[in-house]
Amino acid sequence: MDGELLSDTFVELTDTMVAGFDVIDFLHVLTDRSVQLLDVSAAGLLLADPRGELRVVAASSEAVRLLELFQIQSDQGPCLDCFRSGQPVQAADLAAEARRWPRFAPAAREAGFSAVQALPMRLREQVIGALNLFRAGPGAFDPAEVRVGQALADVATISLLQERNMRHSDTLNEQLQTALNSRVIIEQAKGKLAERLGVDMEQAFNLLRESARTSNRRLSDLAQAFVNGTDALAGLNVSRLPSRFSADRPTRRPGS
Amino acid sequence: MSAADACAAAVAAVEVTGAWLIAVSGAEAGHLMRVTDQVSELLAELQMTLGEGPGPDAVASGGPVLASDLDEMEAVRRWPAFAPAARQAGAAAIFAFPLQLGAIRTGVMSLYRVRSGPLSAFQLGDALIFADTATLLLLDAQDRAAGGAAVSAGAGPGGQPADLTRHRAEIDQATGMLTEQLGVGIGEAFLRLRAHAYAHDRRLSDLARDIVARRLRLLPDPDLRKDGQV
Repeated sequence: MDGELLSDTFVELTDTMVAGFDVIDFLHVLTDRSVQLLDVSAAGLLLADPRGELRVVAASSEAVRLLELFQIQSDQGPCLDCFRSGQPVQAADLAAEARRWPRFAPAAREAGFSAVQALPMRLREQVIGALNLFRAGPGAFDPAEVRVGQALADVATISLLQERNMRHSDTLNEQLQTALNSRVIIEQAKGKLAERLGVDMEQAFNLLRESARTSNRRLSDLAQAFVNGTDALAGLNVSRLPSRFSADRPTRRPGS
Repeated sequence: MSAADACAAAVAAVEVTGAWLIAVSGAEAGHLMRVTDQVSELLAELQMTLGEGPGPDAVASGGPVLASDLDEMEAVRRWPAFAPAARQAGAAAIFAFPLQLGAIRTGVMSLYRVRSGPLSAFQLGDALIFADTATLLLLDAQDRAAGGAAVSAGAGPGGQPADLTRHRAEIDQATGMLTEQLGVGIGEAFLRLRAHAYAHDRRLSDLARDIVARRLRLLPDPDLRKDGQV
């Protein structure tokens, strides 16, 4: 494990007091760094909506985002079990889990994942969501890696909660709900940009994110301005996309 | 059922004293559509007059603003003119919910109580569901006012309830794509998506998935095009 990246990540995940803090972007840092630091192929993050539904808030790839959505839709899977119990849930070989999750297990394998580790995002008795780590190959997760994953989830949870005054549940609910609303704006912006440039949703998201970073703006503000047509993202640097992300060759990913 | 009815129904369901609903269309100033009692009316006017309060903040932030105790320092600091005036009018707590689907903004629903204290988790969930319903009903009303063929908000094809929270990401992505395909604003793109699902008796989520997968494109329709309007 990259020790320097790990310590940088902890700093990054506690640095929520900066101006322009964006919850969605922050949670994407958590999923991205989980993939970089741990021996996993993808990571996704679910948060509880005050309506009582789980929502996919961040994912390291479009494939894992869809798989997380599938879990919510089919009301079944390790992340849901983890969220409901508040305890970690592990499946070392999804090929052997057809009885436990008859709908989720085949869908996960079809998406290219053979093992999963779900970690609760909780502070004391309050579970606000779950961080889910997926691996392409089967096999038990290294306990040391799981501990690091849980530590990342814990630090992110505390950072999310520390900003507000802990005496009130008001601010937490406001912030989470605002984050979920901005998730919708970001999806709308992804669609608009994907259509405009002929790229897929993942590329569109990466472009939006890069554009927000470059211009030092909050991702949700940028997405809002783009969708409303008040910002055409003229400075968008499409040429810096890797060649397989070429704008003139739309990638077709049925179902994505 | 109208958005105003949804606002009135929220009072009993969420166990608050009263509620008011303001519709926002395009760049126009808010239009007060419903008040359930005199205090609500006064609170709505105070917010408009003073230009501050939970309602304007909810619109600006895009998330709910839950002021469970207007006497608290935080509330007074945040709304130095409105908080004491609202207390005097008889409100101890105000909860404001923006009526929006992502970048589509249709208004704000506010609830007040004579007692201070936060909404319970269930009450908050219910309030958000009423806000979702009011949002769809407002979108329909705006579409009808603009001469469009409104789709029934409460039901999708075959009377299925429009399920907006579950398959949402693809619906949102498809809506964004349609702004480009049809050359319209985000609000109208969403209406066109729903109208197409309704006209072809398809589930919104299935239709959205086809658009996102680029198996289906919608074409600009000059008859339905409302230039300059969202």
